[in-house]
Amino acid sequence: MPSEISDESLDFLLARAGLVLSEAQKAELKAVYPRYAEMAARVRKRRGIMAEPAHAFGFAEEDLP
Amino acid sequence: MIPTIAEAARQIAAKALSPVELTRACLDRVHRLDGELHAIVLLTEERALAEARAAEAAIMKSGPSGPLHGIPIGLKDIVDTKGLRTTSQSKILADNVPAADAACAERLAAAGTVLIGKTTTHEFADGGPSFDLPWPPARNPWNTAHFTAGSSSGTGAGIAAGLFLGGIGTDTGGSIRGPAALCGIAGLKPTYGLVSRAGVAPAAYSLDHIGPMAWTAEDCALMLQALAGHDPRDPASARRPVPDYRARMGRGVKGLRIGVIHHFHEVDYRVSDGVRRGIDDAIATYRGLGAEIREVNLSPLQDWWACGSLISITERAAAYEEWARERLGDFGERVRRRLHLGALVSGVDYVQAVRRRRELRAELQAAMRDLDVVLTASQNAEAPKIDAVPEWDSFAAPSFTIPFNVAGYPAVTVCAGFGAGGLPVAIQLVGKPFQEAGLLAAADAFEKATPYRDRRPALVG
Repeated sequence: MPSEISDESLDFLLARAGLVLSEAQKAELKAVYPRYAEMAARVRKRRGIMAEPAHAFGFAEEDLP
Repeated sequence: MIPTIAEAARQIAAKALSPVELTRACLDRVHRLDGELHAIVLLTEERALAEARAAEAAIMKSGPSGPLHGIPIGLKDIVDTKGLRTTSQSKILADNVPAADAACAERLAAAGTVLIGKTTTHEFADGGPSFDLPWPPARNPWNTAHFTAGSSSGTGAGIAAGLFLGGIGTDTGGSIRGPAALCGIAGLKPTYGLVSRAGVAPAAYSLDHIGPMAWTAEDCALMLQALAGHDPRDPASARRPVPDYRARMGRGVKGLRIGVIHHFHEVDYRVSDGVRRGIDDAIATYRGLGAEIREVNLSPLQDWWACGSLISITERAAAYEEWARERLGDFGERVRRRLHLGALVSGVDYVQAVRRRRELRAELQAAMRDLDVVLTASQNAEAPKIDAVPEWDSFAAPSFTIPFNVAGYPAVTVCAGFGAGGLPVAIQLVGKPFQEAGLLAAADAFEKATPYRDRRPALVG
């Protein structure tokens, strides 16, 4: 994952999220992006395709006949 | 002298203390101190006195219905209260009057508590302190120039100053345990699913916990007794029996197996000298009481923090997406910044964080297989000045509390002494899922073996 984000990419992500930010707010968000990217890198590891997420879908007792 | 809940309950049962007198004493402290503390956003004085009179009449007739009967409490202002303004400390909900009580409010009312008021929070239980909201942030009663931590800031400050004896906090990454630590009280984040979240504004659905805050661990146990139990209105609510949470108190901790995660506070993120001394003294205290101290190694604190933070950022952005799109300017600056972060997260980032969560939880489960309790730091230092909290606090420093939101394990923070400037320092104890009775007993043993519960903030007088 890149540790920096371009203005164009940031604009795309904000538009997709439906958020309207001032130029100052965008600059601030761009400045903290590397810290976000570091976190996103930390949760990734070589774990293979079978590693499930923590939220597993299941049925409660009242769902069952 | 401000009684604990347990002491007040004993005196009320013996008819040596009137709930009306107790409530008036709390209200007197509110009037004397809260102009400076800002722990309460909505004072419910008339209701409190009416509830106290009703409790007194019922107790005189047939005795207390339980240990919370006639006990003054505060409810964090993200907890819905029927007919009472519930703002989440936000302009967006400034006029919100819920039609029903949240489950936790309902259960505490049914236990006979007296509501002193709705307590200050960070906006939607998110970043703080904020000075651009309609209400000021709470201040630390040990030194009002200092921060309380958050987001259950008013509940923490109010209990330390005796404005009420117990209260509700919520905890997504440490919002019960942070204020408990910096305000020098006890705060329990129960096991995920033990206390219903119904009627409480969400911060991050899969990390949110509701729990008690009070002067002591024993008082937290008394409150948890009323709060715990299945609630079909909360989809994460567990179906578990509710044991007697005080049953194991007073039996000592001889043979208790305590694991200490030294690398969290000595390597991953070094704590202040005062906090380090508090932790070392706590280990020595437990050892002196006969507990067995062992070493625990987990993934670096930063891994837990990254996992919890990404989940938190994403779930918050999802919960508040409509308002973020339509009323972004109505949020305070700190929450607005956190909502901006939501735009950066991809769906894949989120799922990778949730996959990491499964691994981390399995790691804690394995580490605790031969342990009863884990001991670690709660905060990195004594309370900072209220105007010195970094603006991007989400990235400022790793959290010692969020690992146990990630894992869903119960964790309690208790006072472990006083550090720089006479400000409280704390330890955090972690138990196995649904083992709150043993966890609180370990916390209670520590409190009773140390003198820290004998000291209140000087401003209380």
